[in-house]
Amino acid sequence: MNISTYISGRGWLYRLDPRAKILLMLLLCVFFFLPISLAGLLITVALIVVVGWHNTGKRNVWAVFRSILPMLIFMVIFSPFSGRGGTPLVQIRSFTLLTKEGALQTLRLAGRFIGITYVCTLLFATTVMGEVILALRFWRLPYKAALVITLSFTYIPFIAESFDRISESHRLRQAGPDERKNYIQRLKDLMPTLTSVLVVALRSIPNLAMSLEMRGLGRDEKRTSYHSLDSYTRLFTDLLISIIMVTLLWLIFKA
Amino acid sequence: MKSNTNALKIAVTAVLTAVVVVFTMIIRIPTAKGYLNLCDVAICFIAFTFGPASAFIAAGLGTALADLISGYAQWAPISFVVHGLEGLFIALIVRSKSGEDVSFLKKILAGLVCMATVSFGYWALSALFIAGPAVALAEVPGNLVQSGVGFVLGLGVSMAVKRAYPPVRSLSW
Repeated sequence: MNISTYISGRGWLYRLDPRAKILLMLLLCVFFFLPISLAGLLITVALIVVVGWHNTGKRNVWAVFRSILPMLIFMVIFSPFSGRGGTPLVQIRSFTLLTKEGALQTLRLAGRFIGITYVCTLLFATTVMGEVILALRFWRLPYKAALVITLSFTYIPFIAESFDRISESHRLRQAGPDERKNYIQRLKDLMPTLTSVLVVALRSIPNLAMSLEMRGLGRDEKRTSYHSLDSYTRLFTDLLISIIMVTLLWLIFKA
Repeated sequence: MKSNTNALKIAVTAVLTAVVVVFTMIIRIPTAKGYLNLCDVAICFIAFTFGPASAFIAAGLGTALADLISGYAQWAPISFVVHGLEGLFIALIVRSKSGEDVSFLKKILAGLVCMATVSFGYWALSALFIAGPAVALAEVPGNLVQSGVGFVLGLGVSMAVKRAYPPVRSLSW
């Protein structure tokens, strides 16, 4: 199981301080909900996609778009029906199929959805998870919460691997592997595997707790940290750039 | 002793969060909004076995991390709230002080609350922040099925784990 969202690259987004990147992501997400013109929203989304293309490559940009394409198709099909008041664009006899307002509303929803998707994806595609956690610590994420997230990332491959091994063992015990089963039977067959995986995972808890205890968790002395964000030396500038960028977009495109 | 309890709490929460992530990512059926998965099995198991605090944190954090890893980062805050509340509500309903078995009526109530929380939560939050009410409505049947099946399997798995690994009772907090 691949749990890394990072895509290696050298674009300017990679050099932006992760603390500023988190702020920029939040500000842009808020920006999409502000009263801005539709053209402004679409231009901003296009700019973000171009930045994504330049920094992470067209393959990643296309992969993200493909993952949200079914949702966009749903939006285009269903959203216009919920806003049928206004100037009719498509009519079948007396029944209004599509109005101008409905179409514009759909365009706004789709634009906002694409924008939020790319903003969130770009943060995690251009920042390694360890730096995201350190940046969140800077923004006052409690130490214990950061530790839980870090430990979870360590245990995900272990539990996923256990699942693979256990499900393979259960499959080997089946009499007729090729027989077709209905959904209920397949779910029933899954029960022993899930139970075994959970027992394996739960058995690791006492060891992990003991390791944390031995490493000094909960003691009063101040902890030292091996990892830091010291390599990013332009925190203030990057924070300022992030705020100015979103403020400028807001001033230019406000409705 | 205090630090010991802290270490155990962190270990329990971290491993359960990882369990939720793995269960969310193992079996995925693509849908319009994202995918259907087994996360509700893990959440119901945690709620039945570990209590409200563990259920809220592990369910919320686990599903949010799974969304991040799978490339659906925009859903992470919504998943955190909806599944966190799902775990919390189920755990609060089935919690028993003296350790006696949960009544059938409470299990039914917990199942209904589970399905209602997931389907209504996703509908309301995605209608508000992402897709609009009409599109969000299209996912309600899928969420109802996923949470209903997840609840039944989670209940079964919870009983099986308690039989297979009795020390699990000493890990809850």
